[in-house]
Amino acid sequence: MEYLIHIAVLACIYGILGISLNLVMGETGLISVTHAAFYGLGAYAVAFLLVGFGINFFLATLAGMILASGVAFAIGVVFLRLKEVYYVLGTVGSNVILFSVLLNWNSVTRGPLGIGGIPRPEIFGFRFSENEAFLLLVLAAVAITYAISVLITRSSFGRVLNAIREDEDVVSVFGYSVYHYKLVIFTIGAAFAALAGAFLASYLTYISPFSFTVVESIFILSIVVLGGLGSGRGALIAAGILVITPEALRFVGFTPDIAAQMRQVLYGLILILLMLYRPQGLLGRFRI
Amino acid sequence: MDIAAQLILNAIIAGAIYSLLALGFNLLYSTARFFDLGYGAMSVAGAYVAYTFYNLLDLSVPIAVLAGVLAAGTLGFVVEKLVYRPLRARKATHTVLLIASLGVLIVIQAVISIIFSSQFKILSKDVNLEPVFNVFGGAITQTQVIILVAALLIMVALALTLKYTLFGKAVNAIADDEEVARVVGVNSERVIGVVFFVGSAIGGAAGIATAFDSGIYPTIGLPLLLNGVIAFIVGGVGNVYGAVLGAFALAITENAAAWFLPGEWKFAIAFLVLIIFLIFRPQGILPK
Repeated sequence: MEYLIHIAVLACIYGILGISLNLVMGETGLISVTHAAFYGLGAYAVAFLLVGFGINFFLATLAGMILASGVAFAIGVVFLRLKEVYYVLGTVGSNVILFSVLLNWNSVTRGPLGIGGIPRPEIFGFRFSENEAFLLLVLAAVAITYAISVLITRSSFGRVLNAIREDEDVVSVFGYSVYHYKLVIFTIGAAFAALAGAFLASYLTYISPFSFTVVESIFILSIVVLGGLGSGRGALIAAGILVITPEALRFVGFTPDIAAQMRQVLYGLILILLMLYRPQGLLGRFRI
Repeated sequence: MDIAAQLILNAIIAGAIYSLLALGFNLLYSTARFFDLGYGAMSVAGAYVAYTFYNLLDLSVPIAVLAGVLAAGTLGFVVEKLVYRPLRARKATHTVLLIASLGVLIVIQAVISIIFSSQFKILSKDVNLEPVFNVFGGAITQTQVIILVAALLIMVALALTLKYTLFGKAVNAIADDEEVARVVGVNSERVIGVVFFVGSAIGGAAGIATAFDSGIYPTIGLPLLLNGVIAFIVGGVGNVYGAVLGAFALAITENAAAWFLPGEWKFAIAFLVLIIFLIFRPQGILPK
């Protein structure tokens, strides 16, 4: 049971990541390979503020979300003017650079050692130290994230985003500032990635920079691709599938190292096969 | 040992390897017209095949290198046939091809990790016995001299092939306009197949050179690929001479930065170079 709850918590965290990247990549068509960096910023902000200053988890999470948004805004200002593959490379680059910062800024992040002893969230004297309670909290966060994503996609703002994905030149002819729309959604996506990071840090009580590499960004990207571009529900389901399936490998009896690599093989094959046979993903409404 | 001389020598060797990476990538890009991320995996595969022949089977260096280069080329050819060709036949968008090639990269790297473990490997057997030459106060090993000469030979051979052979003319025709090339009787599918063999083989050579020079691990495919791509963009997309120029510009910047910053920042510096170019001179040093 404890194990199932553990898997469920992870699936929820990746669900938040999937939904938020879907807003950027699925709804707006920006292929971003830097989501793990914002995820990491959220995690580190919470770790730093909780361990170093004993600030309340929820305030620290908010601070992490604001930090990630700020960084995303700066990155967006630079890269969102770039076209297609240059934008993709730019985002890969920002992930690499932010990872280098987490890895090398020893005085704040403790470098490769990571930060341990992160407490569980606490509110009005109640501490979410049991995993069951924590799961409920994360589920609430998933629900809020999903609701906000639905609100965004159903609004007129969301319709402009969809139009940008289809043809950004036409959208700009109609007088919309494509760049500003992209910047807003990119910043919002980063804030929710940081939310997921805050939960990860507090759940595992330990984080290290190696959880926030480009490879992790690619994993989040495969969640969105599997779920289907433009489907928040698809992203949720895909997060569940991609978190649960590799666990089966554990029971087959592979060593942890081999199992980790088998997971990579699995994710890679999913990407290739989807592109070959079902580019729109499980529930996608759009072709890519 | 004079540090300045050493850094210059290091920059020249790194520049030679990056040149190969950029040239192979340029070849693939100019015909297939998408950013083939799987290219990084071909470099790693070539290096590991050479490692198998040299370190595990105890064969001579030329045989091991030849086997590695051929293996990389063959793998590139097969992946093109199995994955990219069906996608191109279906008029898949660049994004679809990009994501599929990402899958290729992940799968091949993970399979190599499963076979060879994710440990760091180096090809040279007796590092201490190797003759070292002194050039203006800097040291250069015999292996590095051979790498430099081999890289130069490959560059010259490639330039001559592209300029004077029928195959080279077909490649240039496809690079200019694939449809027109097909109309005038170029069998573009076959040429692209050969291009994937040759381009991946050059990538394999770069991987093998890296393995001899500084060692490899399965996930080095992504850094190798990105170094090639950065050189390719910095030099000017689609320009063969630009690719070499970009490679040396990148290598010189990286090694100059080594004066001020610890080595862990190297990759971040490479991306900083890319980002600066994307913002201020997206067409590269030598636009086509």
